[in-house]
Amino acid sequence: MRQRRGVRAIRIAKRVATHAILILTCIFALFPIYFMVVASLSTLPVAAITAHILVPRPSSLTLSSYHSILLDQNPSFLAELTNSLIFACSAAAIGLALAAFTGFALSKFNFPGRRTFVYFILLISLFPSFVMILPFYLMFAKLGLIDTYIGLIIPYSAGAVVFSGILVKNFMDSIPDDIEEAALVDGMTRTQAFFSVLIPLCLPVLGLAAFLAFVGPYTDYAFAHVFIDSNNLFTLALGLYQINSANGAGAQDYGLVCAFALVMSLPIVAFYMLFQRYIIGGLTLGAVRG
Amino acid sequence: MSQGAAKRAYPGCRYASLNDFFMADLRDQTLSFRLRREWPAYLYLLPTTLVLLFLNAYPIAYTIYVSLTDFGTGGRFSLLTYHYVGLSNYVYAFTVNSSVSWSLIFNSLFWAGGSVAFFLAIGLGLATVLNQEIRGKTVYRTLIMLPWAMPAFITILIWANMWQYNYGIINGMLSYVGVAPVDWLQHTDTAWAALFITNIWLSFPFYTVVFLSTMQSIPKDLYEAASIDGAGMLSKFGRITLPYLMPTIVFVGLMGFLFTFNNFYPIYLITNGNPGSTTAIFITQSYNDAFGGSPAFSTAAMYAVLDFLIIVAITVVVLWRTNITRNWLK
Repeated sequence: MRQRRGVRAIRIAKRVATHAILILTCIFALFPIYFMVVASLSTLPVAAITAHILVPRPSSLTLSSYHSILLDQNPSFLAELTNSLIFACSAAAIGLALAAFTGFALSKFNFPGRRTFVYFILLISLFPSFVMILPFYLMFAKLGLIDTYIGLIIPYSAGAVVFSGILVKNFMDSIPDDIEEAALVDGMTRTQAFFSVLIPLCLPVLGLAAFLAFVGPYTDYAFAHVFIDSNNLFTLALGLYQINSANGAGAQDYGLVCAFALVMSLPIVAFYMLFQRYIIGGLTLGAVRG
Repeated sequence: MSQGAAKRAYPGCRYASLNDFFMADLRDQTLSFRLRREWPAYLYLLPTTLVLLFLNAYPIAYTIYVSLTDFGTGGRFSLLTYHYVGLSNYVYAFTVNSSVSWSLIFNSLFWAGGSVAFFLAIGLGLATVLNQEIRGKTVYRTLIMLPWAMPAFITILIWANMWQYNYGIINGMLSYVGVAPVDWLQHTDTAWAALFITNIWLSFPFYTVVFLSTMQSIPKDLYEAASIDGAGMLSKFGRITLPYLMPTIVFVGLMGFLFTFNNFYPIYLITNGNPGSTTAIFITQSYNDAFGGSPAFSTAAMYAVLDFLIIVAITVVVLWRTNITRNWLK
């Protein structure tokens, strides 16, 4: 009897410890996000936010920061959103089309030079992408592409191809060859089989590739900062950085920064949370399969 | 079915007849046969090849070339006309300027290696904790995923504000519980601590969930058999869980290292290499040399090339010692 009580005590202690660890982890994970939400809803200086953040008083919460970032900014939030969407969607579309062809060729064909090609892609993907800004800047300055839509869409799509290509290839490797061969027996050409059989099977990974190719340009600051001068090309990332420089730590007003940051990240967060299973699975395809 | 008919009906067919089946291995290896059967692959790869050559390989080659010139560093007119100067940028970097270069090498390795060590340790620990029958598991997992779901550029900017001395919320919280405020970004040690904590916050969810999903694919019988043999929790972890996870650990570890080595935003937005370049890594130094005030393009290109060489060396060694690319090359 006594021993059984000891075992039970250990089990309870273990359970308490487990929940304690997980709760502490959640606090660590959520604190900055909670801070963003509270700060975006208050116009208090930061000293007051500190006291305010533990027990927010409903009476002091206000939507004025949201009102201000959505309506009173120059360039306007809507214009920046439009530009960001133009850059990100073009890059995702171009990158995705190229990645689908690349993945198909590398996965379903055994052509001479295949290994070399994969190694070539891997080697290129190791070159730091932020450093590519320098040669692109020098090249595009000569071609007069600085401060244009095309001038940013080209490097964004080029960056998307490398990673997405490998992603699609890894996924296609997991589709048995029999499926494609069955389509060929039914009289399709390989191209027909690719479009009507393989592409539909690859939709999850193509969605993931498109999403990742979208998020990069959507949140890119490093390229945009160098390539964009004029206000009418301003993107959300540049807008956020500008608001942060003007209202961040120095000016003690986090309300605008946090409201902008939350609105900007909302679509991305929603997508991640909805499809997290696919995303994690897709990113680790090359590793988990043995 | 005759061979001709089979080929017409089924152009991608590996084996048109039984004889082909036995000869396939031999025949598949001949170049001309593979070319005849697989040539459409080149068509599919054509657009990507053009992109890779003109928008990836050429800029990389150009960067290497610029690192061998005096572009932006050779006096007043070097932005207009610049000259090939051989390896003298590299020689300068490892003689006159060697303290900066060595600190960049050390910092980059420290930043990437330290981060990955934390990622793997915390990821494994939390995955083990979450891989139990506990109430509210889904809720915990969803909440822990949130930092990873937020775009990194945005959350890093918020963290940069949080670490501020006067108006940062972290010092605010510290003073709330009676701890004197710390000037996080003005001392090398605390600046690194701020960077690592931010980086852990950004990435630990991903590692936890990856390890958790791999752990859940381990057959339960293994643990039951081990329990019958009297194995404790630690030996089960060491003898079953860890070996089973090893391929995943090596893979995400290497990927995490490569990613963090070139992870620009945390350092650029939080410390920007300060205090006094003691937290600068190759990538931030290179960006600031090129676009932060005076355009020293050749120095920036040189640091980029050094970064690339180190990364390639590390990758080649890891790939050579392990077989994690087996799946990529099939």
